[in-house]
Amino acid sequence: MENMIEVKELRKEFKSHSSRSGLKGAFRDLLTRNYKIVPAVNDITFSVKPGEMVGYIGENGAGKSTSIKMLTGILTPTSGIVRVNGMDPHKEREQFVRSIGVVFGQRSQLWWDIAVQESFRLLKKVYNVPDDVYNTHMNHVIESLDIGPLLDKPVRKLSLGQRMRCELAAALLHNPPLLFLDEPTIGLDVLVKLKIREFLKEMNAKYNTTVLLTTHDLSDIEALCERVVMLDEGKIIYDGQLDSLRSNWGEGKQIEFQFADTAVTKQNLQPLLAELDAAWSPGERQNVWVANVLNDEHVISEVIGRVVSAHKITDLKVHEISIEDIIRNIYEEGVTNG
Amino acid sequence: MKYGQLFFQYAAQYMKTRLTYRTDMMVEIGSDLLSQAVNFLFILLVFGHTTAISGWSRDEIIFIYGFFLVPFAIFGAFFNIWDFNERYIVKGEMDRILTRPIHSLFQIVIERMELESLFGVVTGMAVMVYAGSRLDVSLAWYDPFLFVLLVLGGTLVYAAIFVLIASISFWSDSPTSIMPMMYNIGNYGRYPVNIYNNIIRFLLTWVLPFAFVGVYPAAYFLGRTEWYTYAFLTPVIGVAFFAFAVVMWNVGVTKYRGAGN
Repeated sequence: MENMIEVKELRKEFKSHSSRSGLKGAFRDLLTRNYKIVPAVNDITFSVKPGEMVGYIGENGAGKSTSIKMLTGILTPTSGIVRVNGMDPHKEREQFVRSIGVVFGQRSQLWWDIAVQESFRLLKKVYNVPDDVYNTHMNHVIESLDIGPLLDKPVRKLSLGQRMRCELAAALLHNPPLLFLDEPTIGLDVLVKLKIREFLKEMNAKYNTTVLLTTHDLSDIEALCERVVMLDEGKIIYDGQLDSLRSNWGEGKQIEFQFADTAVTKQNLQPLLAELDAAWSPGERQNVWVANVLNDEHVISEVIGRVVSAHKITDLKVHEISIEDIIRNIYEEGVTNG
Repeated sequence: MKYGQLFFQYAAQYMKTRLTYRTDMMVEIGSDLLSQAVNFLFILLVFGHTTAISGWSRDEIIFIYGFFLVPFAIFGAFFNIWDFNERYIVKGEMDRILTRPIHSLFQIVIERMELESLFGVVTGMAVMVYAGSRLDVSLAWYDPFLFVLLVLGGTLVYAAIFVLIASISFWSDSPTSIMPMMYNIGNYGRYPVNIYNNIIRFLLTWVLPFAFVGVYPAAYFLGRTEWYTYAFLTPVIGVAFFAFAVVMWNVGVTKYRGAGN
């Protein structure tokens, strides 16, 4: 089957002028300006199959928003090819946007002053959704998101969580095969987050909806996406399974010991790890030390055994390295074994 | 047509929103009517002291002024794009507009309509009736139709100029200061153009054709045959300028840089 999103060597440059300092500089800026061409998105290539749920991650300013805006037809690419759902988003914008749903977490699609259902009614007209399709589909969406009681309230009276669920319903009103979510769970509490995740999974299972999700909350990605695309400085630095991210970079475990004796130092702990593939690193507090070990039952048992028999401990924790740590490591150290 | 239906949907929604805030609406209608009445009196007072200028009698000038108010009111009701830069570009509302399957300019028009501006049409008509009755303007059966056509032409001229200025926002960050200036220049269209010097006349006819909003079309109803060519050019200029403005707008949309978030 054809790819839902097909991006080749996509590039977007912004021209920005760097202003000189001081009043004298400002006068000089009037006459000649220093323009700098900054590539916000730097020749990225990737594709997404129908029905995939892809996490699109990166730090602020990595080019996430810019590339999503090119995929949704808001921005025109400087160069490169974008085909989404078989169309060129920018050239065939009006036709194209019928096939996508967009939720920008920071921006509302709904009319502030009018009741939610009135917003839905206007959007139904905008997208030209026939009554019967609308009724069956939207009744289901409204029920799954549990927004029935909110429909007659004006948007400005809704809480953030309520509003976001309504936003999601509005984005899915025309049942698009492709959904772009930009920070959909920003500032939401755990229960609402869970509800939104459940709902997205359900939509994906029922309609095979393709989802491209950007978020800073990696637990969203872990809950929903099998695949992640990671951006840094406008370039894709990782594109692949979330699982293999974990197995490539997050092989080890961390065993955190809290010692009863505050005088424990690295020197007197060091011999305990002799001949084992492990290393100590200082913990968050003075008498806390962390052993970074391979994810191997013998090693883990051996380390714990040796430490416990040599020192008195008050607490012991075994951590799996979280996706967040992995990603932080990737950003700090760069991709070496990708 | 789909756009027509959408227009009425939005208009209906607009009225509904207004009706929910009852006192607010009453106060607003009251103040609108009052300001129109003040406007009307103001016009009569100001022109009470004028006599003929450059071959136009006092009542003719009042008539032109009245005519001008009609396209201006329609423009004001539907083209609230004077704050386009702040509202849509700086705040990034344009992102939302561009993810919907309707022409972006049309969306802004229906989103930002302010139907109460249409009260200005009533004032304009009242002024014309007042001046027209004193001038013994006679109307042929087809004149009401021509009136609609010329008003629409004038509205398009006004709209075109403001759409063009709004389009600059796609390229530059700060065209806002041009907007108030344009409102001022627009006012020149309320007076007979031949009172100005030739350069200004040329500007008001071919560059910023505000003269086609007031004097030229009004001259037709005043039976000033020497201005008929210009009068009948009104719809042509309106359509041509507006088409040009829409083209520039469309080009501008491709240059839209988005707001960072």
